[in-house]
Amino acid sequence: MEYELNLSINKQPVKITVEPHLTLLEVLRDHLTLIGTKEGCGTGDCGACTVLVNGEPVCSCLMLAAEVERQEITTVEGLAVNDELHPIQSAFVNQGGLQCGFCTPGLLMSSVALLEQNPRPTEVEIREALAGNLCRCTGYDKIVRAVQAAEEVEHV
Amino acid sequence: MSKNHVVGQPLPRIDAVEKVRGEAIFGADVQLSQTLVAKFLPSPHAQAEVLSIDTAQAEALPGVRAVITAADIPDVDTYDSGHRFHAFLARQFVVFVGQPVAAVAADDLATAETALGLIKVEYRPLPAVLTPQAAILPGSPAVLSGEQTGNGEVAAHGHTTVAAGKTTTEAKKSPNVANRNVYKHGDVEAAFAASEVVVEHTYTVPTVHQGYIEPHVVTAHWDRTNHVTVWQSVQGAFAARDLIADTLGIPLTNITLNSTEIGGGFGGKIEGIFSPLAVLLAKKARRPVKLVLTRREELIGANPAPHTVIRLKIGAKKDGTLTALAGEVLADAGAFPSNWIMNVITTLLRNNYKFEAWHLEGLEVLTNKASITAYRAPGGVNASFAIESQLDEIAGQLGLDPLALRLKNLVLEGDLLADMKPQVRIGAKEVLTALAEHPAWTDSLSPRSDNGLLHGRGVGIGSWGGGGGPAAALAILDANGKVRIVLGTADVSGSFTSMAQIAAEALGVSVEKIVMSKASPDYAPFAPMSAGSQTVYAMGAAVKEATLDLRAKMLKYAAEDMQVTEAELDVNDSGVFVVAEPEQIRSLQMIYQLGTEWFAEHGPLIGEGAARKRQSAPGVAATIAEVAVDPDTGHVSLTRLVTAQDVGKAINPLSVEGQLQGGSTQSVSIALWEEVMFDEQGQVRNPSLLDYHMATAADMPMIETILLETPGGDGPYGAKIVGEPSIIPPVAAVANAVAAAIGARIYDLPITPERVWRAIQSKRKE
Repeated sequence: MEYELNLSINKQPVKITVEPHLTLLEVLRDHLTLIGTKEGCGTGDCGACTVLVNGEPVCSCLMLAAEVERQEITTVEGLAVNDELHPIQSAFVNQGGLQCGFCTPGLLMSSVALLEQNPRPTEVEIREALAGNLCRCTGYDKIVRAVQAAEEVEHV
Repeated sequence: MSKNHVVGQPLPRIDAVEKVRGEAIFGADVQLSQTLVAKFLPSPHAQAEVLSIDTAQAEALPGVRAVITAADIPDVDTYDSGHRFHAFLARQFVVFVGQPVAAVAADDLATAETALGLIKVEYRPLPAVLTPQAAILPGSPAVLSGEQTGNGEVAAHGHTTVAAGKTTTEAKKSPNVANRNVYKHGDVEAAFAASEVVVEHTYTVPTVHQGYIEPHVVTAHWDRTNHVTVWQSVQGAFAARDLIADTLGIPLTNITLNSTEIGGGFGGKIEGIFSPLAVLLAKKARRPVKLVLTRREELIGANPAPHTVIRLKIGAKKDGTLTALAGEVLADAGAFPSNWIMNVITTLLRNNYKFEAWHLEGLEVLTNKASITAYRAPGGVNASFAIESQLDEIAGQLGLDPLALRLKNLVLEGDLLADMKPQVRIGAKEVLTALAEHPAWTDSLSPRSDNGLLHGRGVGIGSWGGGGGPAAALAILDANGKVRIVLGTADVSGSFTSMAQIAAEALGVSVEKIVMSKASPDYAPFAPMSAGSQTVYAMGAAVKEATLDLRAKMLKYAAEDMQVTEAELDVNDSGVFVVAEPEQIRSLQMIYQLGTEWFAEHGPLIGEGAARKRQSAPGVAATIAEVAVDPDTGHVSLTRLVTAQDVGKAINPLSVEGQLQGGSTQSVSIALWEEVMFDEQGQVRNPSLLDYHMATAADMPMIETILLETPGGDGPYGAKIVGEPSIIPPVAAVANAVAAAIGARIYDLPITPERVWRAIQSKRKE
């Protein structure tokens, strides 16, 4: 039994027909070929699948696609504008805030949400906001520096 | 040209932009049309005989395209029942919970999962052995991997890799001892008798998972007659190809193995042990098949690091001179032996410090759990926790500074290692001295803060030999004037960026002129696995050689064309030019044409680099950790972390710092949180990232790194091995910091709040 969904993804209207049990993560990756969002655990523990729903970071593996009808969804593919990187993306590149890059899309989304809500976070606030995004490669040091660098760019 | 112009620059990774855009293709992102979803049926028993498997109902389910069991595995000459690779589907016995018994390929995930539920397996559960202490007993149930004799009895694994020495009588009779090593020198009993202080303890490190965020993933597609193309998250494309060839009897040249962008490996994805499932299913289904492991399947049935029990006895003189070392290493290999990791642990116990006499014995035993493999400096954390904790305890008993005690006894160049070979040049003294002079060590530290937290600091050191195997690369000048470096390496650690810098430096151009072309083993010359810290060290040497070869040929063509000698020429981004008259120049595109135009006098320009095995260039790291402990809850906070490492030459300091920070964090995480927990039936109790806690951003402080560059080895531009040493010391630095904070020592990892609290309570009662 299929279900017709009206989604808004990265400010684009998207209309698809899916089985109702599919998660937002599955629909993004398998039906819309938005493969930037990753699956690390499928149970909401690693944050690799983080997207923004109305600006709030959520684990897309824990949401049914049907739940986000008509909500504004932002994925990593929606950060760059006209080929120009979002300041957070540039900051991650320049600060070395990524190595393998698998956790990076999720981290970028959580960072964007943090800076929207708290434009001048302290180190502790950055670490707490990102505590739901596991990274095994970097040890988080350069990720924190990247968020701090992006924060400065936005206030220049 | 004595100053490096590209090597040594902290350039961003060349693949960073595509990764922050979400455009990098990881294993699960590979999309072929008509791809089926694969799932495997795991054994619920730690050990059982498989009596029958009925797949008829599963095969009949609409949307199921293939079901396989061991009956589908072709007979191969290379079959080895004692090797994990060949156990990708259980045959007569299952030997660990989670071992695949059957597998399906279906149109979608829901159908595949339903199909698994329709497979009927009849098991005869058998006694299992789940701890190494139980496994070494003569009466222990035997782990039934390996050779089985006709009457159903199992021949014992018994394999002594270092001859002679005293052996434990009991262990000889156990059916589960897979390997035994003995290292001894001098009269250790006499040395203990002459010691003025003797300390003896037993240290345990549990099973831990490498923790890569991207699970194992493989896609297989039989795209030509008798030919399979595979896309896989692996660290060693050549090793992965070999695994498929050996397990399924497919000729090597009939396998194309594409290593996809890898989301972490750390040793757990060197050969990619799940590929035979996808390859067999794809053959039977006649469609591409993709297998992605769930996190639960990873934590239960992949290939973790070993659980170890190490008994260590050390003797010393009052002035801090170490005299005697005795130890027993018990390493739990799971159901299949590693045949090498226990040996590493045993030798590491001896190799950082000089002793008059030593006697070390190691046993690798089998248990009914998923078998082990490498995890970043395999065995390093296990050995470090033991030896570095015990050194600190000796320092404490003698009233000596822990750093001073280490400096006094360090193994340096020329000193004998456990295998009786002399150590080569190693920066051990330099890293310890750097820390001894650092404010993190010299600042005063208040033992208790106003809010009641207890503070302590600790240090640890760890060395690692690393690898440096033969490697080859090609440097090809392309039509647009760029140089294409063709290599078979998987870029695990940012090595491609560093190697692009090496190529740019060798040629005399900027890094933008270099293109790193990763090729499958079909096209690339031999590349060693991206593990063992050898990628920049060994493949980087081949890249440098290939680029220098190309450069020489470019100069030759240009010299002829410009009617000058090669000695008068140099290279930059604009081309090959006469140093005395820079306007006399041939652009890189023109040089390309000199080798490819239909009237060219010479052939196309290809540089070749075939680097033989590197000299030993061990890496050494040392770490200071500072903790704050809540005495009421036992909670430990890491408040400061400083890591120093001798890297020879930092080709890319940004990348090298990242390696130190990542390795340090994995080590801290093992010290404080990680343990794969098993119950009495061999079931994993915590197969999720909620209950298997790995360090988060909120758990860690900023990590200060000190890069030391001391000479040694024959790496490109003086580089030594980098990736692994950083994981070795922090586990011990944290343990030592906690011991300093609470005045009591914990001998079992992880250092949980419960263990800390109990240690504090015990100490209060004294």
